[in-house]
Amino acid sequence: MELQLVCNALLLGGVYALMGAGFSLQWGISGIINLAYGAMVILGSYLSMVLFNTFHIDPFLGIPLSGAALFILGAAIYRGILQPLSKGGMVFTLILTFAIRLILENVMLVLWSADYRTIRVAYGGVSFDFFGAHIPLVRLLAFVVAMITVYLLYLFMKKTKTGKGIQAVALDRIGAQAVGIDIQRMYLVNFALGSALAGGAGALWASIYSFSPHLVGAVVGKVFIVAILGGLGNIWGAAAGGILLGIAETAGVSFFGAEWQESLGMVIMVAVLLWRPYGLLGKKFFA
Amino acid sequence: MTKKHLPLLLLALAALGSLPFFLSGYWARVLTVMFMYGVIAQGINLMSGFMGYVPFGNAMFFAVGGYSTAVAMGAGIPFFLTLPVAACVSVVISVLIGLPVLRLRGHYFAVATIGVSGALMSVVQNVEFTGGAMGTTLPILNASPAQASVFFYLAMLGLLVVANVTTWLILRSRFGFGIRAIRANEDAANSMGINTTLFKVLNWSISAVLTSLSGSFYAYWMSFISPDEMFNVMIAVNAIVILLVGGLGTVLGPMVGAVIFQFVSEVAWSSFGHYHLAVLGVATIIIVALIPNGFVGRFLELRRKRITGQTEEGAR
Repeated sequence: MELQLVCNALLLGGVYALMGAGFSLQWGISGIINLAYGAMVILGSYLSMVLFNTFHIDPFLGIPLSGAALFILGAAIYRGILQPLSKGGMVFTLILTFAIRLILENVMLVLWSADYRTIRVAYGGVSFDFFGAHIPLVRLLAFVVAMITVYLLYLFMKKTKTGKGIQAVALDRIGAQAVGIDIQRMYLVNFALGSALAGGAGALWASIYSFSPHLVGAVVGKVFIVAILGGLGNIWGAAAGGILLGIAETAGVSFFGAEWQESLGMVIMVAVLLWRPYGLLGKKFFA
Repeated sequence: MTKKHLPLLLLALAALGSLPFFLSGYWARVLTVMFMYGVIAQGINLMSGFMGYVPFGNAMFFAVGGYSTAVAMGAGIPFFLTLPVAACVSVVISVLIGLPVLRLRGHYFAVATIGVSGALMSVVQNVEFTGGAMGTTLPILNASPAQASVFFYLAMLGLLVVANVTTWLILRSRFGFGIRAIRANEDAANSMGINTTLFKVLNWSISAVLTSLSGSFYAYWMSFISPDEMFNVMIAVNAIVILLVGGLGTVLGPMVGAVIFQFVSEVAWSSFGHYHLAVLGVATIIIVALIPNGFVGRFLELRRKRITGQTEEGAR
């Protein structure tokens, strides 16, 4: 019984981890609290659904495709709207990204209605026993894919020139500029990368749970908590934060009841903000 | 604003006050909502426009006011006596939350207010005396629909006037200079002897009281409230859009913004139907692109330029 709870918590946390990583990057490095993030995630879910229904592409193969589509959308949003218009500071980015959310949400409602949708794959019913705990195959696959993606992201940030450039900009904007890094390009790549993670996480979500445009707000709530728990812009922090949120929610439901699930995450977030605003794993490093 | 504008203002106020006797119920309702948003936006303006702290979850005080009135009236207290109750409850909550949360700056403060608002909403949904997730009903105002419509119109208008006068008085006081000093540079303000913690918490409680009173009137007006409705993040979002349209950090900005916003969203509703959210989003982006300082901000800028021949540098 306890093992089952632990497994559930980990498997749920894996999806949160991937979801939170993109939001954390956009906030911590590009300095944009992207309130459209939830809409981007759900858009990724719908793209995966369309790919599955029309071209019979497996939802797990749909993850990179959704990610690629959202990468382009994210780049367009940053270049077209956020970069030129958000000079006035936080109020402006908040309101602009919220406006983008409204547009995306409206488009999804019109295209696909407010009904909850699911993707049913042939192997959806397969599951196996792990020392008495019941583990569905799709959930395990989703967890593994999420962790691999987070690892690839880490490699990108550590090994490639662009990734190092992004880290340099996050560490010291002026210093990065002084050594010849095109900082606006780094912000652009980073924002687009975060959007791609949103799309990928959405496709991943669609392979396990049902989705609808109504989930947009709830997703934003989750990624806020994950990003704060892990420390902004910190990839492994986001992964740990996601798993921690999975554990907290699962434990919260079994100890306090399902109706307190949402508020538990919020309370943890505010507590971490007050106690360690740079995240549980983070160093005092971002502004 | 000088003395010579005062008769003009009073005249405009008298005209607005007599308007509901001639308007249809529909337009009286539109204007009442407009005034309500003017108050909520002024509450956010006090925090973000003058002090530089963005309380993204400020709609929680709207809910606090609404629920204080609902619970107090349920206990048999007459409506007008529930207003001081709502004010006291919102002061207590804003001080309790403000003391820890106002230590955070920038993004962190904005996010923490969203978190607190979400947590408060869960509490309201899960305790007995607020009616839980299903919402709660209030006694209905004992009057004909036409009289009720006039009553709530005048009440919201009165509250809007109170909010604007309060803001105007604050800006002329030492306290007003203090909070603007905090916006300019909090550490410097602190080292110059401004008690920044006191000023920040005090300013948030003023903002909370104004917002909660608008919630009280709204709850009595609707006579039914639910957590989803009262804690809706769209309330704060609409108020911030209103602020940007009108002019962040100006006294009249929230009122002007509310007029324009309410008009645009009525048009969006009636002529775009299913696309009204997207239209609202596009309109917001266009407004931010064209007039980043808002209508009042732009007006002040142009006037200053005309008088002094200054460039835009140093405006605001």
